[in-house]
Parts: sequence; C-alpha cells; structure tokens
Amino acid sequence: MKLCCLFTRYSVLWGLSLFSAIAAETPDYIENHDTIYNNLTVEKRGTVVELRARSRAGEYLESAVDLADPLHLVVPYTRSLFAAVFFEPKPANVLMIGLGGAGFHRVFTYAFPSARLLSVELDPKVWELCQTKLAFVPTVKTPVTVMDGRLFVKRNRETWDWLILDAFRGGFVPPHLKTQEFYRECAARLTARGVFVTNLHQDTELFAADLRTIQSVFPQVLLFQTHGRGNVIVCAVKYSAPDLNRETDVVTLGKDNPRLAETLELDSLATERTPFSAKFVATAPILTDDFSPVEFLDALKTNNTKAR
Amino acid sequence: MLGFQPVDFFGGLFNDLAESDRLQNIALATGHFTTPNYPVPLVLFHVMVVLLGILSMGFQLLASRLLNPYFGSSLIVWAWLISTFLAAFSLGSIIGGWISNAPAPQRERAQWIVAVIAVGSLAFTAFFGRAMLGLIEISFTEITTGLLVACLALFFLPVTTLSSFGPQCVEFLASRGTPPGKASGLVYGVSTLGNIAGVMLTAFLLIPHFPVSTLLYLWLGVALVNLTTLILLLRSPSHFSTA
Repeated sequence: MKLCCLFTRYSVLWGLSLFSAIAAETPDYIENHDTIYNNLTVEKRGTVVELRARSRAGEYLESAVDLADPLHLVVPYTRSLFAAVFFEPKPANVLMIGLGGAGFHRVFTYAFPSARLLSVELDPKVWELCQTKLAFVPTVKTPVTVMDGRLFVKRNRETWDWLILDAFRGGFVPPHLKTQEFYRECAARLTARGVFVTNLHQDTELFAADLRTIQSVFPQVLLFQTHGRGNVIVCAVKYSAPDLNRETDVVTLGKDNPRLAETLELDSLATERTPFSAKFVATAPILTDDFSPVEFLDALKTNNTKAR
Repeated sequence: MLGFQPVDFFGGLFNDLAESDRLQNIALATGHFTTPNYPVPLVLFHVMVVLLGILSMGFQLLASRLLNPYFGSSLIVWAWLISTFLAAFSLGSIIGGWISNAPAPQRERAQWIVAVIAVGSLAFTAFFGRAMLGLIEISFTEITTGLLVACLALFFLPVTTLSSFGPQCVEFLASRGTPPGKASGLVYGVSTLGNIAGVMLTAFLLIPHFPVSTLLYLWLGVALVNLTTLILLLRSPSHFSTA
C-alpha cells in the first residue's frame, strides 16, 4: 500500500513536471512574415517576444523584448552596445542603423531621458512588427526612418555622439556597410568626442577584415566581447588623444547616471573589454567600395578566437 | 558533327559572301537544310557567343557592386537594375534584328558602329563610372530618379549594344544551312549558358578576389576581343556542305 502511494505520488509529480516542461516549450504564438528583405519569425513565449530572421545557418535572433520588463536586455550583446558610454558618457544625439525590436531603445531612453535616438531601418516590415508585436512606441525622442543606412548617413547632415551600426540581413551585413569609404562617412558625421559602435561576429574571416578596415579609418579602436557569446562590439573614435586604454572610472559613471548603473551593471560591462593583437589583423584585406567580398569572407570560418 | 578543318581563323572568311547567300536561297527554296560541317571558325563562333553571355550577365553583378555605395542594396536598386538590363536586352534584340537583315555593306558598317559604341560605353563606365555616380547622387535627391539616370548612363548602352549581336548570330547560322528555328534555339541556348557562367564566375571567382574597377577593365578588354572576333566571323562566307 505504501509502495502504491509512493508510486502514485511520483507519477503525479512526474506528470506535473512534464506538463510544465511542455508548457514552457510551447510558445504563445509563432508568426512567419516574408518581407521584401527577410524571412522573419515572431515568437511570443510568456512575456518575451523574439524577432528572428532566417539565415543560412537556421534562424538568426535579431532582437527580443521582455514585455513585462522592457528594461531587461534579453539579447546579451545589446548591453555591450552601451560600452560607448565609457568614452562619451553624455550622449545627446544618437544614430542607430538597424532597428530590430528596439530592445536597446527602451534602456537608452530610460538611462538618457533627454537624449534623442534616431533609428534607420531598411525593412518596413521590421518597423511595423517592432510596433505591433514588440510594443515599441516611437516618440519625438526616438524617431524612425525607413531607408538604407548608408544613404541616410550620406544625406543627413547632423552629427552624432554615438553612431551605432547594427544592421543585419539574415545574419550578415550588406557589403556597402562594411567599407572604408562608409566608415569615413560615419567618422565625418561624429561629433569631436563621438563614438562609432558596431556589432561584429568573430567566427569568420570577415572579422579580421572588419577590424583592419575600421582601424584604417579610426585612430583608436577598442573591443568588447559579450560574455559567453560570439559578438564583439567595436568602439572607435576619430581622435588619438586622450588614450582610451585608460582604466574606466565605473564608479563615477554610475554616480553621474544612477539609472544607467541600475540597468546595465557597469562593472560587468567594463570587464568585457578585450585586447586584440596587431598581428591578427595585419594580413586581412581592407574592405573598400571597390573590393568588398563580404559574403565570401563571411562564409570562411576561422578559429580567430585563439588568434586574437 | 564536328569536322575540324586546319586552323585558318580568318584567312578564308572574307571570300564568298555572295556564295553564302546563294546557298541560303537554295536551302530556303528547296526546304532542304543540311547538317553544317563545323569548321574551327564555327567552334570559335560558339565560344564567342558564350563570351557574349558572360559579358552581359556578369556585368549585371558588377553593376550592382558599383551602385551599392551610392544607392544601397535595397530591392529598389535591384528592381531598377534588372529592368534596365531587360530593357537593354529587348532594344538590343530589335536593333540586332534590323542589322542582321540589312544589305551586306550597311550591315558590316552597322556592326562596327555598334561594336565601337559597346566598347566606348564600357570604357566610360570603367573609367568614369564612380565619378558619374557621385555626380548623380548629388544631383538627384530622389533615389528612384537617381537610379534611373545612373542605370541609363552607365549600363543601358553597353548591354543594348552587346545584346544586339544575338540576332546577328542567329542569322549567321541560319544563312549557313541551319534551319532558322534550330539556329535561334542554338544561339540563345549557348548564350544563356554563357549568362549562367557569367553570373557564377563573377559571383564566386572574380568579385571575391579582384576589385570591381579591375574587373571593369577586364570586361572592356574581353569585349574588345569578343566583338572584333565576332564581327570578323559574321562576315565570313558559308562553311557548310549542301549534300
């Protein structure tokens, strides 16, 4: 009898745990959208909505937002983009090329309520889904323009404190957003103390070529590797002095902007800074408008984590 | 059936155009077309048709690389680019049809004029393409207008003139004993194989290893050789047996 009760109890517990596991695995909804540039999947699971784009390796996570806690940065590299704050702690005017699900925007507007964050997005469907599914509400401080990023940088005459390039099309960046000429155009649109920020993937030959190209334009380039991920965030500035390789005063930064400290864990963010050797990029090609085999380099896998 | 004759690429090509026309008239009158006895120039002719296809479609990929820094890589760019090339193929085919049915002296003159325009316009794109795009970008704030002007200025003329040789190649085979339908199918089939080769070579071999500017010079050189050879071949007399 005792054995029977024990069996029943374990069966119920096992059943419950199986049910909860299935419930956790089952999304609230999955939608597929064929857009003019992407094949997108929007998936809601509990309070988290993910925006994914189909790429050759499966689905590439473009963005994710926790609707119940918008200040929670679900995609880890999004926090790394804030490394720009170490070099320009008070951005007033920020340009972001690539909107995604606007997870970055929610923390940015919380941490810098008086700053303006303008986004440029190529795919109108991404912009639509960002509003309808990922609950992004644009304001006068967070306008969005649907246009090619390079075209926008060329035609817009404003200068930016942070210029963030995070434009992916199914896991890869279009070649014309990877060239020396484009980086020069970006540098020209930065304020004197402005920071150029871009999100790179370090598992292909393209990574070294990217770094060398960025280094050919910006005198100082620093890397931040997102903990446990393949993303490397590049922060680059167009001045040579002061030297950016100094110790970051995280405490003062946190005191000056408590909201930032509260949402980002600045200590942890500062530890993402990672060195790279000149030798690693020395033989990589500089990508130009004339020679930019991005797709080819992106397809060549490399074990550059060790090399770096 | 390939019956190779001793190599004599151009020596015997300019003798007997009248004989060619006479034999074609006999074939048309009797309805008795014969299997051509392929000489080396005819093999060379097919190689030139393949090259023509490579030049046309490979050029489209180079064109996209030229446009991207100025107009982005959006669907709008591809829509204009593809439409421009198709319009050029269309007009080129019509012009080529007119030329192929013109009397011999006028036809030869027209062929050289078209070839000079093709090489000249390719040279313009290769040497002044980027400067031109920079100018267009400043002059036209509306992307659609800018793209239209850029595509017309840099790509329309080379592709129109290159594609005008297609119908002339059909006429070349038809006038040498190949039934017109078969000649048309053969030329467009071989040319399309060239198109595929052009796309694949450009995408997987050339663009990954060479700057676009270098490739445009390469295109210019190949076009010069291709069109010169093709015109000389098109002027050659018939090489077929009347059985």
